[in-house]
Formats: sequence, C-alpha cells, structure tokens
Amino acid sequence: MKVYTSVVTARRSLSSSAFELRLARPAGFTFRPGQHLRLLLQERQRDYTMTSGPEDPELAILVRQVPGGWGSSRLAAQEPGGTLRFTGPHGRFLFRPSPRKPLFVCTGTGIAPFVAMARSGVRGYTVLHGARDPEDLYYRDILVAGADGFVGCISGAGKLEEAGLFSGRVTGFIKERLPQGAYDFYLCGREEMVRDVIFLVDERFPGSRVFTEVFF
Amino acid sequence: MKIYTRTGDRGRTGLFSGERVSKADLRVSAYGTVDELNSVLGVLAASLGRESARTAEGVRRVQSDLFRLGAWFATSPDTPAFEELPALDPGAVAWMEAEIDRMESALPPLRGFILPGGHPAAAWAHLARAVCRRAERRGVAFVQDLQSAEAETTLTRAIVYLNRLSDYLFVLARDLNRLAGLEDEPWEQGDS
Repeated sequence: MKVYTSVVTARRSLSSSAFELRLARPAGFTFRPGQHLRLLLQERQRDYTMTSGPEDPELAILVRQVPGGWGSSRLAAQEPGGTLRFTGPHGRFLFRPSPRKPLFVCTGTGIAPFVAMARSGVRGYTVLHGARDPEDLYYRDILVAGADGFVGCISGAGKLEEAGLFSGRVTGFIKERLPQGAYDFYLCGREEMVRDVIFLVDERFPGSRVFTEVFF
Repeated sequence: MKIYTRTGDRGRTGLFSGERVSKADLRVSAYGTVDELNSVLGVLAASLGRESARTAEGVRRVQSDLFRLGAWFATSPDTPAFEELPALDPGAVAWMEAEIDRMESALPPLRGFILPGGHPAAAWAHLARAVCRRAERRGVAFVQDLQSAEAETTLTRAIVYLNRLSDYLFVLARDLNRLAGLEDEPWEQGDS
C-alpha cells in the first residue's frame, strides 16, 4: 500500500482534551467521507478518521489527547512544518442513502466521520453526540447546519438547561426520547456504546439498519 | 483490535448492508458455510508439501474468491452496499475448468465411486468438496427467496462458482493422491 508523507499545516485545540490536526493534502490522495488514515508513527500505527470533506484542500483529523497516551502525545507535539507518514484511505463506514431517517450516534471523537459526511453535503440526519462535558461537543456548528436534529448527551453533569442538550448517555436518549420507527443507525464510538445501542435497536426499532465503526 | 464485541450474544447479527437478522437466517447460514469452506481450504493448504507450489497457489486463489463470495452472500440486494461489492472474478470459473481438464488428463478414467481419503492433503480436499456442496445448497436456498431479479442473476453466478469449485476439489483430491503415489480406492458395493 502506498505510503504518503504530508506536512502538518496547523494544530487547533477543540477542548481541553481534544485537538484537530491539519495536513497538506498529498497529490492524488482521494477518500470518501467516513474513511480513515493509518498514521505510521515510528514502529506503531494509529487510525484516525478524516473530518475534512473529500473536496477540501487539506486533510483534518480529530485527536483525543489521552493522558500518557503513546500516539496522541506524539501528535500533540506536532507543530506546523512537521511531517507525518500515513497510508489510506481505509474503511467502509460510509453514508448510504435510503428512505429511512439517518441517525448519527457517537461518543467523544466518534463524531469525526459524521463531520466529514456533513461537510460533503449529507443532510437530513439527526445527531446524538455523547460527551462528558458540553465543551466536548466539537464541530457542533458544522453538524447542526445540515441536521434535522442535534442532541448533545452529557453524562458528566447534572441537570442541563441549554436547548439541544440531554442529561445522560446516548442510550438513555434512545430509550426515553427516540420515537418508534425504522432508522439507519450509524454508530461510532467505544464497543460498549455500540453494543448497547445495537441491543436497543434489536428490541425497539425493528426494520432499522445498523452501520458501525468501533474504536477501542 | 478486540475480537469480541458481544453484539451477537443475543442470537442476532448484522449484514454488510446494515440489517439486523437472526443467526438462523438462510443468508447467515450460507455465508457461514462459505467461511467454513475457506477454513478447510486453509487446512488443506497447510498440509501440502513444498513440491505442491502450484496447488498451493490455486488454493490461495480460491480462498480469496471465497472472501468476495461471502461478502455477496452477506449483503442484501438493492442496497448501496450491494452496489459497491467487489466483483466476482469473471475468469474464475474458466480457470477452474482449465485446471480440472489439466489434472484429469493425468488421471486414470473414473469407473465408479471412490472412497474419500488417501493422502492427508487429498482427504482435506474431499472434506472441502463436501463442505462446498453444503455451501452451494444453502446458497441456493436463500437465492431462491430473493425478490430482485438483478441480484438473483449476480448471486446465481456465485452458485455457479460453488458448483464448479466442488468439481475442482474432487479432481484436486484425486490429483493429490496421484502425486503422492496413491491410487483411488474404489467403493465396493459388496463391502459390509
């Protein structure tokens, strides 16, 4: 598989625990929204989904800074002018239009593929973004612009007054608030969330389809 | 990457095209049997000696084909995912037929049923052939249920592939015995 080398053009903080890294787009590199890069960091590899649109002049990735994390610490130390090597695009977590209503369900940086989809012109979706704190609802403005609904599901706070926020996990919202029906569920996040939502789909939303991207 | 996600713990699984279905679904049974066949071929390949490089290459080719075929079985027709599936190699059946002709030209004519067995590699080829027949039967069962004529045409090609593959594996088993210096053991109707 071809290895690309790209120059870091910017690093932008999104919250106290996440940042966006922008890379110059190598000539000839194309991808579809929802696909990811495989960064080659010394002897290890790390996968990051692009948040940029497929026509954007630069590539962007969303990185959660894990305290003491091997990969994220190295990426956090990147400055404009540095270089990164990667392969790609990888993955088949793609938007698939259908008569059913699309529901984007994610936790934390699992929002990344949906940002790319929104930037590529996908519209009419509902987003359930799980986070511990409202500051971690990155890219909310971009997603809201094309959404029929956006709900930030905040698990680390008490009662929330702000419109568009739900106090609890994404699974809590699906159990308590999501109207009956058949949806296209797009799930991106940790295995526990993906598993719990799939069980809810099996129990309560017959005729739905489920597409998953799990990270660990 | 963790292997277990526990999402299948309640007897349901997800297709490539997103539907949640029972693990007892005909389609799941079909692609599961293709996976079983591929695994038996892996054992066959592992049992081959270094002198069987051509056979090993052929088995690897079939194993790759079976991944594509499994993906076709695991995807509902009339979905965007179905449209994006990698094509089945249109030359695959012709290749198997050529290999069958090549191997048969060196084999004595078949005059009746033979007992599956002989050299271990040949015995694995016979087992693969029997599993392939089961994959074909299960494939036929769900293809007959399809509503989309276009999808049925495409998947019928998969059935043709499996049918020819079982012939290839039968002749391969005989050829592996020949290469090992073993003769076919005929079934004697009077045996008891």
